[in-house]
Amino acid sequence: MTTFHTLCRSIVPLMLGGVLLALAGCAVVPERPLVTYTGDPIVDGNAELNAALAKDRVLWQYRIAATAIRLGRFDESDRQLDSALPLIGGLLASSADAKKARSLFSSESTKTFIGEPYERVMAYYYRAVGYWRDGQPDNARACYRSGQLIDSDAEAAKFKSDYVLLDYLDGYATAKLGGDGSEAFGRAQKNFKRKLPPYDVQANVLVFAEYGRGPRKYAGGQYGEQLKFMTDDSPAHSAKLTVGERTVALPPYDDLHFQATTRGGRVMDHILGNKAVFKNTTQSVGDVALAGAAVAANNIRRVDGKTSDNAAAAALILGAIGIGSKVLSAATTPHADTRTWDNLPQRLSFAALRLSPGEHPATLEFFDKSGKRIERLTRQLTLSVRPEGDSVIFLSELKR
Amino acid sequence: MNTSSRILVLAGAVATSTFFAGCASEGVKNPSGVPVTEMKADEAGFVRGTGVESQDLVAVTDKMARSIIGIPEIARATATPRIVIEPVVNETRFPINKNIFLTRIRTQLNEKAAGRVRFLDRDMMKTLERERELKRTGQVTASADPHAVEFRGADYFLTGKLEGMTTKAAAGTSDYILYSFRLTDARTSEIVWESSAEIKKQGLEDAAYR
Repeated sequence: MTTFHTLCRSIVPLMLGGVLLALAGCAVVPERPLVTYTGDPIVDGNAELNAALAKDRVLWQYRIAATAIRLGRFDESDRQLDSALPLIGGLLASSADAKKARSLFSSESTKTFIGEPYERVMAYYYRAVGYWRDGQPDNARACYRSGQLIDSDAEAAKFKSDYVLLDYLDGYATAKLGGDGSEAFGRAQKNFKRKLPPYDVQANVLVFAEYGRGPRKYAGGQYGEQLKFMTDDSPAHSAKLTVGERTVALPPYDDLHFQATTRGGRVMDHILGNKAVFKNTTQSVGDVALAGAAVAANNIRRVDGKTSDNAAAAALILGAIGIGSKVLSAATTPHADTRTWDNLPQRLSFAALRLSPGEHPATLEFFDKSGKRIERLTRQLTLSVRPEGDSVIFLSELKR
Repeated sequence: MNTSSRILVLAGAVATSTFFAGCASEGVKNPSGVPVTEMKADEAGFVRGTGVESQDLVAVTDKMARSIIGIPEIARATATPRIVIEPVVNETRFPINKNIFLTRIRTQLNEKAAGRVRFLDRDMMKTLERERELKRTGQVTASADPHAVEFRGADYFLTGKLEGMTTKAAAGTSDYILYSFRLTDARTSEIVWESSAEIKKQGLEDAAYR
């Protein structure tokens, strides 16, 4: 009995100390500076960016860029993306936070955010709009090529590099530069069920349109180890732009929900899966050991009234193993990274047309799946066409 | 009994250190920051990619500038050749600042060629024409006859092209970039000089991003 009490006296402070130290260790997350909102989405976005942890900065840069491009603030959009692209375009190797994200006891979101492939593709896609606008179709083309490369490692062959617009615009930029864009056009046509419009190199107005709200991430599986996507399918399934007597179709060439959900498994999914298995196993080992400890504890007092030192020791050892295993299980964090570029569109479209320089009143209409016009989304706008070079018009159903 | 105690102490230590490993550094990587490191432009930094980087720019433009100075059309020209720079065409998958290559070649040539070549500032043409018009209309003073045509024509055009080839596989990403530059005779359209440099890089990103 003396031995039993001695053991109890040593284990209780030890466990309490462990728990206190654990809590103390977890409490050193740096304080987030207070953000004062002004109502200006760009100012507020930049305030969030300045307050964000370094690992989350790209996420805010993405969000600000999308908002800025919709507000026609292309310089701001380009500035944010120029800051983000070197990181997402480089190779993140030997990174301490990525290593930590792979460890058993840190969640995936400890790594520096660069986004899932469809998010990285969109960063390049938006930057390309700025390059077109600045009269640099070759740099826009570089963005399309980088975007398509990002999508080239999808698990299933038929989903590799299958963005229609990236290839279509790659070829269009080449054709605009006097080259042969037919190869890229052919690749784009292969991925699109209907007939793509032929390149009009004389077109001076490039219309980039987007509608619907893009995919959102959530964590599935027993421990949130599975990265999943959900999209509220937008009622807008197609769009049309009318300028004077001319009507230009803006069909959905690409769907980001489709792109997000056809990638197949990630290497990181296997790592998270292993973490989940470890968490589950240690949990089970803890349960079994604690049950064994309870049984052993019941046998400490023998039928002859004496105390069994062996049973006492077994109860304590199994108890320690059980608690240790439970602690390990609790500390294991297989949760998938669900940080999301949450202001992306669902559908992407493009059209090129010829217009004389100056101002042109236009009507933008959206249509549902059955082709019926969605009245509340109809918008009157004015297209400004430059006297020289290509004019880029960016149209979005999303306001921010 | 001593054995049991030792096992217990060990188990407690393992549990505690596990917590430390999992939580202790949460959010406080480099709490004091990383001081700014000044680097030479031709040094590879710790932020790397497989695309065009400053050390590539320096290596390529140094090579081109040295090569241009040595060609007979420049080295043995009886009259100082005038060169106009045309923008580089980017055919790679990397968006780049296209002017930076030719700007560096120009500055290198201006520094090292000691007046053996002159560059014509066509970017300034609108400003120069406006200034000439002010002089012609007498709104500002002129040190020479403003009606004389003094804007020089080009003897040569210098331009370049960046072409790339990319491979991406489970083993990593590899990018090959060919930087080619040429000097074209404005009168005859002959290419009087051409040179290229090639750089290949490869790497594999952390599994957390794959």
